[in-house]
Amino acid sequence: MKRALALVGVVVMLAAGLLAADLTLDVKEHVLANGMKILMIPKPGVPRVVCHIYFKVGSINERPGITGSAHVHEHLMFKGTEVMGVTDYAKDAEIDQKIDKLMDLIYREKYWKNDGDAVKIAAWQKEVDELVKAEKAYIIKDDLWTQYMRNGGTGLNASTSQETTGYYVTLPSNKVELQMLLESDRMMNARFREFYSEKDVLMEERRLSENRPGYFFGEQVNAAFYAASPYHWGVIGWMDDLRKMTKEDLVEFHNRYYVPNNAVAIYVGDFKPAEVVVLAEKYFGRIPKGPDLEPIRTGEPPQYSEKRMYGEGPAPTSLQMMFHTPPDGHPDTAALSILASTLGSGGGGGFRGGRGGGGGTGRLYKILVREKQLAVNASASSRPQWYVGAFQFSATPRLDKRVQPEDLEKEIWAEVEKVKKDGVTEEEMQKAKNRGEAMFVRSLGSTMGLASRVGRADLHRGWRSILTDLDELKKVTNDDIKRVAAKYFVKDNSLTAIYRRKMGR
Amino acid sequence: MRRTLSAVLLLVFVGVVLGFGQAKHPSELRYPALKYEPPDPKTFRTEYANSLRAYVQEDNSLPLFNITALINFGGLYVPKEKTGLDRVLGDLLIRGGTKTRDGAAIEERIDFLGGSLNFMVGERTSQLSLSVLSKDLDEGLAIFFDVLMNPEFREDPLKLAKARLVEQLRQVNDQPSGVLSREYERLLYGDNALTWDPTKATYEGISAADLRTFHAKYFFPRNIILAVSGDFAKADLKAKVNKFVAGWKNKSVAIPSLPKNFPAPEPGVYFIQKAINQGYISLGHLGLEDTNPDYFAVQVMNFVLGGGSFTSRITTKVRSDEGLSYNQGSRFAYRWGFPGTFSGYVQTKSETVGYAISLILAEFDRIRKEPVSDAEMETAINYYLESFADSFQSPQATMGNFANLEMTGKPMDYYKTYRDKIKAVTKARVQEVANKYVRPGQAAIMIVGDWEPCNKGGAQWPGPLEKLGKVHKIALRDPMTGELPK
Repeated sequence: MKRALALVGVVVMLAAGLLAADLTLDVKEHVLANGMKILMIPKPGVPRVVCHIYFKVGSINERPGITGSAHVHEHLMFKGTEVMGVTDYAKDAEIDQKIDKLMDLIYREKYWKNDGDAVKIAAWQKEVDELVKAEKAYIIKDDLWTQYMRNGGTGLNASTSQETTGYYVTLPSNKVELQMLLESDRMMNARFREFYSEKDVLMEERRLSENRPGYFFGEQVNAAFYAASPYHWGVIGWMDDLRKMTKEDLVEFHNRYYVPNNAVAIYVGDFKPAEVVVLAEKYFGRIPKGPDLEPIRTGEPPQYSEKRMYGEGPAPTSLQMMFHTPPDGHPDTAALSILASTLGSGGGGGFRGGRGGGGGTGRLYKILVREKQLAVNASASSRPQWYVGAFQFSATPRLDKRVQPEDLEKEIWAEVEKVKKDGVTEEEMQKAKNRGEAMFVRSLGSTMGLASRVGRADLHRGWRSILTDLDELKKVTNDDIKRVAAKYFVKDNSLTAIYRRKMGR
Repeated sequence: MRRTLSAVLLLVFVGVVLGFGQAKHPSELRYPALKYEPPDPKTFRTEYANSLRAYVQEDNSLPLFNITALINFGGLYVPKEKTGLDRVLGDLLIRGGTKTRDGAAIEERIDFLGGSLNFMVGERTSQLSLSVLSKDLDEGLAIFFDVLMNPEFREDPLKLAKARLVEQLRQVNDQPSGVLSREYERLLYGDNALTWDPTKATYEGISAADLRTFHAKYFFPRNIILAVSGDFAKADLKAKVNKFVAGWKNKSVAIPSLPKNFPAPEPGVYFIQKAINQGYISLGHLGLEDTNPDYFAVQVMNFVLGGGSFTSRITTKVRSDEGLSYNQGSRFAYRWGFPGTFSGYVQTKSETVGYAISLILAEFDRIRKEPVSDAEMETAINYYLESFADSFQSPQATMGNFANLEMTGKPMDYYKTYRDKIKAVTKARVQEVANKYVRPGQAAIMIVGDWEPCNKGGAQWPGPLEKLGKVHKIALRDPMTGELPK
């Protein structure tokens, strides 16, 4: 059956290590003629299906001038199509084009000139306001949301990261067709209505981030850490770009990246794969294939010199130490992950005023928090992104004992030097491997988590990389640990950021 | 499925060629019928030794074991002079060790097994949760019951916990959203156990003896309900659990009386100064309990008003039409044994603070004065009916839901009758409960923001904020001492 349908059922047996029984991750694949991939993980039981679509596009596909546009575009995907969200498309389009023309005049006057004519701008704006009012007669507000929600859609959302953009809904098992119809429709027919008011919403979203204590410093640290690679800017984008980007920028972005050969749809839940394949052929199959897409060109050049940043403001005093590491899929990734787990696991838990929470069994927590009592928390993490990786240490000093971030920096370096020399203990190594394996088992239990993990992984190195990465983790030796510590934990490869709470705020 | 395969295969090709059955608009779609009956709590309920109640589901799909103890103990049961004891207990139950195990060794072992063990203390309930691979069930269970029954609250980890909690006090006024939710509740509930905050002095006054007293008073079998799921056989598990709890004695405890009378704050504006570029706003008053017969009608009403995401009126008006904010809406919070809060909420740039508030107040008024539309009713009711099965997606969450129902004394047919009660809500009932529970005339409007630009307003709504009612300026307490600035 599976062969006849070109359905590839792949059952991978996980080598018995920690687990008594063999465990399977069973993902069924179907590729449409236009290159779009359909992944399916059936889980019979409660009649719901998690339906996610992921596109291989994120903020790293932007450039200066349009930073934030992947995320802006994600918002605009909810603003209707030729079919959805509109009562009379022809009449609506006529008004919308007039608005775009006037806004183009306004932007040129405002942003291209140093001394734009305020009177002209006000007059054009008045015309725009009237057209916006007139357009409301043809707009069905938030039609897509209404359609999903009245049909029991939950988990309805979308998100943009540096590398991917995802669109999510969970529906009753008998209504998967609704998702196929609405998602294929907005891939083909998106018509970014209400673009200008939505940009205001996005600027409010950015302001929300800005009002998080320490945000501005964090944004600068990230920008300093990545000098050249497009990870330099945040997903939300710079305020200037949000203000000045045009609808044309977004249409271009959509046409380039929202093509079926750049997307994967994944279904997890109570459904029959053969039926989902029929629906996918019917709805996603009607979208024409787009041109091939070139990967990101600019990598991060070697630093060759240490970077340090100091800041102060209304957030807790803290230390961050960041090191450049290789991207996801590199042979050193597994050893770096074990290092992060060994040095830093649990060290940041229960910190933000939460009641209770897990403890810390990482080395840094044991030494800096428990034994020496120099820190409130201390953690380490390894982030192997698609094109560049980062390893980070974070710690908060005990101000009641007058500990300074610089004191913690010395302590962390001392621990790093120990690792370079002796590596980790056998028990630490086994613990990190056990944790990796157990985390994998747990991930199989969460429908949404599984959809997200498998879908995103598939866009980069294929979903099977989840399994091969687990195998790589098991192969790591103490020599690997010592080698990667010596290779990446060097000053010329680092950025150290020290932040102090400014009193009186 | 296998038998119909060739037919399906044929459909794929015919369908693609002819565009057969391809809908252009959702209104053209016809869905096959779907019947779903929620699981019945009775099927899963059991009692272990000493009347320890449990909801237990075997689930052999993955080699995992999950157990949660839901304990009838929370911050509200702590007297004023021991404020913060709940937080110290939350931090220390595991880390403080047991009579025979060191806390760090417990954490280390659980971590080594790739498991997790967490303890959380809430307002009136606490939860100890363990998740391990099923091959480690015996060892996990032994640690779980040891921590639950025999915590030792050793001195060193206690000192560390207190130091960490005191350090955290420095941050309590950092986040505008945290300040807003804390001060909004303080205003609506007044001065009682619901709003007491720990200080450096109260933390430092908490001893291991205090923790032992509270543990002894509330942690006994009849005051706890378990939620369990995973790869095991029910009978085996019963024998194992009984071995641990056989000698665990029951007690009688009088749950402290809960705060009942809350002040009605004077309607108007309550302003908290913070140098930020937006105003963070909550406006409203106290709401109702979820055991109130009006609960279902209120859920539907609030979905239309501001709880139904982009299908709701506040989001449509404030975000979608006006572009004023990213996050906005209305919510009824529910709490066990006393009314929760009702609030409209939004965060918007300083100059549009007054305008956004005026739009939300107008929506409060409108839902009282005009009946909601048929389409709005249909969307709200269908949402609740069609998404109902979501509550039972995970066996552990389902067992937890049942344990919660029993703990809080709700009817055990709550889920069975849920959809009928939603279906019974009418437009008239929606308007009736809107008038009863949404009272813009009594609303306290709390704003955390920068006074000058917020008060000045903008072109659409020029200030001053006094136009919305008398302005009260609220000073923040020193988080270390709990004292107001002189």
